Amino acid sequence: MKKFSGTEPKAQHKGASDGATAVQERETTKLVGQSIPRVDAIDKVLGKTQYPGDLSRPDMVFMKVLLARRPHARIKKIDSSATLATPGVMAVFTASDVPCNEYGLIEPDQPVLCGDVVRYIGDKVALVIAQNEHAAIIGRERLVVDYEDLPAITDPRRALDSSALILHAAKKTNLLAQRRIRKGNIESGFTKADVIVESEYVTPHQEHAYLQPEAGLAYLDEQGRVVIETAAQWSHDDRHQIAHALGLPQDQVRVIYTYGGGAFGGKEDVSIQIVLALAAWKLRKPVKLIWDRDESIIGHHKRHPYIIKAKWGATRDGKLTAIQMDLLSDAGAYASSSREVLNNATAMCTGPYECENVWVDSRAVYTNNPTCGAFRGFGAPQVEFAAEMQMNKLAEALDMDSVELRKKNLWRNGSIQATGAPVPEPVGVIKVLEAAARAAAWPVKKSSSKRLETKKRGFGVACGFKNVGYGFGFDEKCTVTLELHGRSEIEKVVVRAGASDAGQGAHTILTQFVADALDVPLEKIQLVTGDTSEADPVGSCSASRLAFMLGQAVRGAAELAKEKWRTQSERPVKATYRFKPRPTTPLDPETGRGDPAISYCYAAQIAEVEVDTATGQVTVLKLISAHDVGKAVNPQQLIGQIEGGAAQGLGWATVEHFVMKDGFVMTPNFTLYLIPTVLDVPEIMNTVVLEDPDPQGPQGARGVGEMGLIPAAPALVAAVHDATGVWFDQLPLTPERVLKGLQSVP
Amino acid sequence: MAKATKTKRASVTVRGPHKMPVHLFVNRQDYELHVEPRRTLLDALRKDLGLTGAKKVCDEGTCGACTVIVDGKPVYSCLTLAIECEEKSIETIEALAQDGKLHALQQAFIEEDAYQCGFCTPGQIMSLKALLDENPNPTLDDVKRAVSGNLCRCGAYPKIFRAGLRAAEILRSKKGA
Repeated sequence: MKKFSGTEPKAQHKGASDGATAVQERETTKLVGQSIPRVDAIDKVLGKTQYPGDLSRPDMVFMKVLLARRPHARIKKIDSSATLATPGVMAVFTASDVPCNEYGLIEPDQPVLCGDVVRYIGDKVALVIAQNEHAAIIGRERLVVDYEDLPAITDPRRALDSSALILHAAKKTNLLAQRRIRKGNIESGFTKADVIVESEYVTPHQEHAYLQPEAGLAYLDEQGRVVIETAAQWSHDDRHQIAHALGLPQDQVRVIYTYGGGAFGGKEDVSIQIVLALAAWKLRKPVKLIWDRDESIIGHHKRHPYIIKAKWGATRDGKLTAIQMDLLSDAGAYASSSREVLNNATAMCTGPYECENVWVDSRAVYTNNPTCGAFRGFGAPQVEFAAEMQMNKLAEALDMDSVELRKKNLWRNGSIQATGAPVPEPVGVIKVLEAAARAAAWPVKKSSSKRLETKKRGFGVACGFKNVGYGFGFDEKCTVTLELHGRSEIEKVVVRAGASDAGQGAHTILTQFVADALDVPLEKIQLVTGDTSEADPVGSCSASRLAFMLGQAVRGAAELAKEKWRTQSERPVKATYRFKPRPTTPLDPETGRGDPAISYCYAAQIAEVEVDTATGQVTVLKLISAHDVGKAVNPQQLIGQIEGGAAQGLGWATVEHFVMKDGFVMTPNFTLYLIPTVLDVPEIMNTVVLEDPDPQGPQGARGVGEMGLIPAAPALVAAVHDATGVWFDQLPLTPERVLKGLQSVP
Repeated sequence: MAKATKTKRASVTVRGPHKMPVHLFVNRQDYELHVEPRRTLLDALRKDLGLTGAKKVCDEGTCGACTVIVDGKPVYSCLTLAIECEEKSIETIEALAQDGKLHALQQAFIEEDAYQCGFCTPGQIMSLKALLDENPNPTLDDVKRAVSGNLCRCGAYPKIFRAGLRAAEILRSKKGA
């Protein structure tokens, strides 16, 4: 196993801070494993990178979207006469203008424009297109929609009441999905337990808060195809959904991605793509749209809130005997990826721990709250928060060190998941926990500093894991085409791979893989990633999957290309390879049995916090993260991704308070919805990277994109408990909640 | 009440609502614009001058992505009116690199990989430029304070403040040399 420590990127190759085996990384000319600068670096520091909002065309017109801004209502009438009479306004489009008025990432249960009923405040009702943005805004203000408000379901616990209105009539129920795991005998598991810890955890909505709001420019190209320039996470799926709604063949729709200003799962669903395409298609003109911040916050999906009832039992010597979990997920108004998030949450709610007896019931329900979908971690942060809290509480109940307790139960090679399938090997979770504990000199005595009586310090630990790729039986694939130009020597390589880069660095590592696979310098590599008519489908930029899948697809395509280059005289050489990872299976609906994950990645984090008991303020002083990434393709970028993920996890646990009231979002801007600033991240972030190769991944790489976020919240809450003696089972730990919790202690 | 209003009005210069001429000195170049008085500097830069480096993220002074330097001070250009900048010197990210050479901050951001998506980067760099122009020997706290009004959702903060310190080092060594 190779490892290096990442506090200082410059020093990271010199060796691990804890004195363990450190390996010099730059021993070969290979680029995979080296911290080369991003391929987009120069343009980014020059301010030249074009994001969707920066695009323009000379004859473009502007669009504004009328959002419902009410949680549940029947549309009785839309009067657009005043709008159409507004100078500059060119057109108003409503439901009847959409050829096939439905869309959705997995299931098309969402109207492009609502015709009869609006089901949440972010539903789109009408489009106003005008010569300039101001006229579009005025025109939108003059739209008169006559609504009849309907009772709204805003508490997921009430969604299945017999008195609750059914939000999607065709479904006859508000139950969107349910899953079960039945393993062993839960009753006998609890009988064997010496201690049982039972808690209810509440995790909140989280807003992605990517700085680049949804934006795009749509127009018709010289071939008459409708083109949508934007930035999101899955260009080929956007194309599919746009074509479906417009009733066009796929080849009449081109989606072109620019660089994206952040996504984090929030741009996996379609937001503005279809309405932009519709307007350009109808008007035969370039149409531009940029969402304001509040439109972005109201109009795109969120991280699912979960209510989790957990009951875990263990023997006196710290062996888990029973895990019982009940998960309730607020899906909001439409399906989005709620089922898939629930799959993940169900399979991962036991944490990476062995247990003979597992009983899980999980449900996702429709409500009139904002639609929820993908967000970094995809269900794992919510349930692993509960699982890690349970482990920390069990350690307290057993008077056992929480690292030691974990080590007695953590997966190892040969372990069986709650779903009955073996854990894909090698299983590195004990190693990451040990690495984090070493880096923190665990167990840490908390006597370190007491500047003030009211400031109390504490330390907390948590583990985390996340599957790489979609899993659960999804037919996952990633296709890459390589074109080799030149005669006797390769002069240029064109890489056709529709990979979105929202900042995570996919394009850089793609060039690293290609350079190594073909043994060509970076300068000879030309990426074609943005245009669905030019690039092959690689799947989404999500699920910690892109490095893993791209690396393998490049390896396959490069082998084919080199073979052709040797054996054929025709130039350029073109080779396409479709990588398919090993198949997975869905969970059995009754027992939850199945082989859900291609592979897993692992992390452990240790947080040190200071709690101001006078104000309730929680400050994170230090965060140590240890990750098994299999292979660090670009160590510097990797550490950035881990640190950035951790910042989002700490934000979710502290300052990010998404407030809902009766179906309305009370925090639709950055004045009210706070995200961490430079002063909110820990002074010390120490990242230890382990490289235990995954035989399925390219050069051993696993995924990493989501892992940094996952253990942060439970590690922080454990540290707050260490400091104050109080367990906080609801996120985020706002000062008010902390104070209230502290006051509840006699 | 009516009287008070009247008195007050006498001392107010009314501008607008129609477009009016404004002279902006941006990146060492003169521009004559015709803008509505309500036009923000950010919109003037992005829409009238085509300088899209400064970003519109919140449009209410909470994120810093629109930061530019006006007369040596970093300002949120979304909270600044274009007409307020008459006769003032405005610097944006576009003019930082000169003669094909990156500014030390740009070089340091690349070396330290101080971004991911890059959307906040122009604002971060301009906030730090204002700091380094004034204080060539900043402490870690100075650097953090300088960018404390610049959100980065990718969470590149540790690298951003390392880049700020690194840039100061580069600039000092250039001066020394």
